[in-house]
Amino acid sequence: VQSALLKLTEPELSSPEIDSPPVEARAANTMPAKPKIDRVWIWRWLALHQRELRGLVVGAVSLALFLLCWHLLTKYRVTMHVRFVNVPSPEMVFDSLLRSARDNRFLSHVYLSCRRVFIGFLIAAIIAVPLGLVMGRFRLVREFVFPVSEVLRPIPAIAWVPMSIMLWPSNEESIVFITFLGSFFPILLNTLHGMVMVDPVFIRAAQCLGAREASIFREVYFPATLPYVFTGLTVGMGVAWVSLIAAEMISGQFGIGYFTWEAYSLVQYADIALGMICIGVLGLGSSALIRGIGRVVMPWGKK
Amino acid sequence: MRQQTEVPFMSRIFRHKLAALALALTVHGWSTAAGAQIVVKIGIGTQDTTTNTVTAGVVIRQLNLLEKYLPKDGKYANIKFELEWSNFTSGPPVTNTMMADKAQFGMMGDYPLVVNGFTFQSNPESQSRLIAVAAYNQFGSGNGLVVHKDSPYFQLSDLKGKLVSVPFGSAAHGMLLKAMQDRGWPADYFQLVSQSPEVGSTNLQEKKIDAHADFVPFAELLPFRGFARKIFDGVETNLPTWHGVVVRTDFAQKYPEVVVGYIKALIAANEWFRADPKLASEKIQEWTGINKEVVYIFLGPGGNMTTDPTIKPILIDAAAQDVKVLQNLGRMKEFDVTKWVDDSYIRKAFAELKLDYDAQLKSMANYEVKGEDKFCNKHITDPRKAGEVWVDGEGIEPFSSTACTLGAYSSIKAKGKKINMAYVFDTARGIKLFADQAYYAIGSDKAAIAPFLLKKDAEDYAAKNDGKVLSFEDALKVATSGG
Repeated sequence: VQSALLKLTEPELSSPEIDSPPVEARAANTMPAKPKIDRVWIWRWLALHQRELRGLVVGAVSLALFLLCWHLLTKYRVTMHVRFVNVPSPEMVFDSLLRSARDNRFLSHVYLSCRRVFIGFLIAAIIAVPLGLVMGRFRLVREFVFPVSEVLRPIPAIAWVPMSIMLWPSNEESIVFITFLGSFFPILLNTLHGMVMVDPVFIRAAQCLGAREASIFREVYFPATLPYVFTGLTVGMGVAWVSLIAAEMISGQFGIGYFTWEAYSLVQYADIALGMICIGVLGLGSSALIRGIGRVVMPWGKK
Repeated sequence: MRQQTEVPFMSRIFRHKLAALALALTVHGWSTAAGAQIVVKIGIGTQDTTTNTVTAGVVIRQLNLLEKYLPKDGKYANIKFELEWSNFTSGPPVTNTMMADKAQFGMMGDYPLVVNGFTFQSNPESQSRLIAVAAYNQFGSGNGLVVHKDSPYFQLSDLKGKLVSVPFGSAAHGMLLKAMQDRGWPADYFQLVSQSPEVGSTNLQEKKIDAHADFVPFAELLPFRGFARKIFDGVETNLPTWHGVVVRTDFAQKYPEVVVGYIKALIAANEWFRADPKLASEKIQEWTGINKEVVYIFLGPGGNMTTDPTIKPILIDAAAQDVKVLQNLGRMKEFDVTKWVDDSYIRKAFAELKLDYDAQLKSMANYEVKGEDKFCNKHITDPRKAGEVWVDGEGIEPFSSTACTLGAYSSIKAKGKKINMAYVFDTARGIKLFADQAYYAIGSDKAAIAPFLLKKDAEDYAAKNDGKVLSFEDALKVATSGG
């Protein structure tokens, strides 16, 4: 599963500025390029996917505008309380992307970070979802676990760095542990929230129909909670990426978070921005993936 | 970088208009009421825990020395200065703060300094200039490499193929690269990884890494904290290491007298430390959390760092070498260190204080251990063979030789007094050592005890003199019984 996930996210790497225009172009070129194919089908397809297409176009325009603003602000080195004097321009970041993309090390940074985030995230999901369900169902468990989780939850990833080094025998485990912590709490809380939001009328109805505890759990609680679980998973995935720099400070060698950190210690602003964008794009890709899985798992949900 | 030369005319107009608007908002905030006092903010980025820089940063701040030397008359009559101190644990964040114009002064070690100068080359508003030196060691001591105290490594070559961490881009990184270069070792001789001092220290304590190389004060601090052992000192690279102060040129050109005042404050801070090193070390422990015994081994008499603000040519040569190392790593392009140095401010400060800059520039002398040895009843004549014992609550006593130091140590201890630390000097290299971490060699005649940082040096000495190598405890016994 992991390698499949990676394959899906890696093309996202190539940063928004190259990714977005082709999408627009493809939409525009479909018609004239293949005149012989039945036009009706194309029109129908376009009509059917109008919403998605519009979404793509608007998204591409918004990204393009963002890049344009960035370009102008840095080109004219605007100083308006907010100062863009030394902020690297998109061109500089693009240059450093080209330089890095030729370098195998950069790709291995990306690969390792993805692996760490996904392992941490998977473990978090495997523990947090059942725990959240159980906490939602049994008051005593919730009363027992909730205080501890509330104390641990606000602790920022970077503060966990020394503890994590001491707790785990290998660095790789320490890093995975920090990304795990990042995704664990959002997943747990959202699952718990989903359980609390289940309408008691459904439960009573199921009980009236003679359902036992196991069936109520399977047929009522679980499907009703699932949308919240997926919200939790999406947020958790985002936070896992947020924790990445802190986590990879430990590694001292690999990972896109480490790449960003090293660029910082050598004061290379373009590389810092490249690392930031990379993390952003990878985060976007992995969240989209979770939403996609969510749609498959919950065909009844809104599109 | 590329746009530096092609800022179009339009943008200049744009900026002028904005400048008028944003006048009250910029970092050098001006009060708007006419005739009122003008407020000028002076931001200073310090590295409190990097003991080398304390006299350029935390001491000036705590003793309010800068306020004392800031210009007050002439064009400054209407100016009110506001000082903003920010503290960081390494150089790069200081550079970042300076680039953002939140700090006009900054202090850092040699490698981060050249990175600072290079990074400022692409800043259209300002450049940075080196205006003074905080402290230096002519031979590169200060940086060092430590291993876990239980590890079987005693010299650099024992670490072949092992996992060694060092903060990349730091002075310690430079030391390690130089050491490898000197020995003709390939780049993959160690498994070199980048870890900040905080991360590296914890990793070493947990034995996740085999060795950690770091800058001042970690190579002394970690052994002092009891879990590490220093097996390589920067002194073996014979390349000077130093910390310096840089300033933004836009600020310096506008307020040159402030820069001169800052250097005067630095000189005063150095004098303050040397006047009473014990008290100063205790104060610095209070302000920075670095143990006083560690501060003292660096900045005390005969210490591993010389506090001297003059910008010595050998330090600039060392910086030029650092540039080459960074260029070889592909981390830096063209950078001319000689153009980056600006000694006009420090010359002015020396002149105004009636000090001779050129004489000080030539002097490589540190202040040394001196006084009367009360245990052996001798005058101290050779300070780099001497020793010191810090008796808790009393003071730091000097002794004329290692044998006298160890003898005094035992006798003080026998009186039931608590000893904070004892210091001796490495016989081969003249660097100050924690007595309880040193290796001791005695000749067959048992006349003299020679302390060494490296086990290997001690063994060589013992072999040559037909003697043997002792631990601190055994050396104490020899000093009290036979010495």
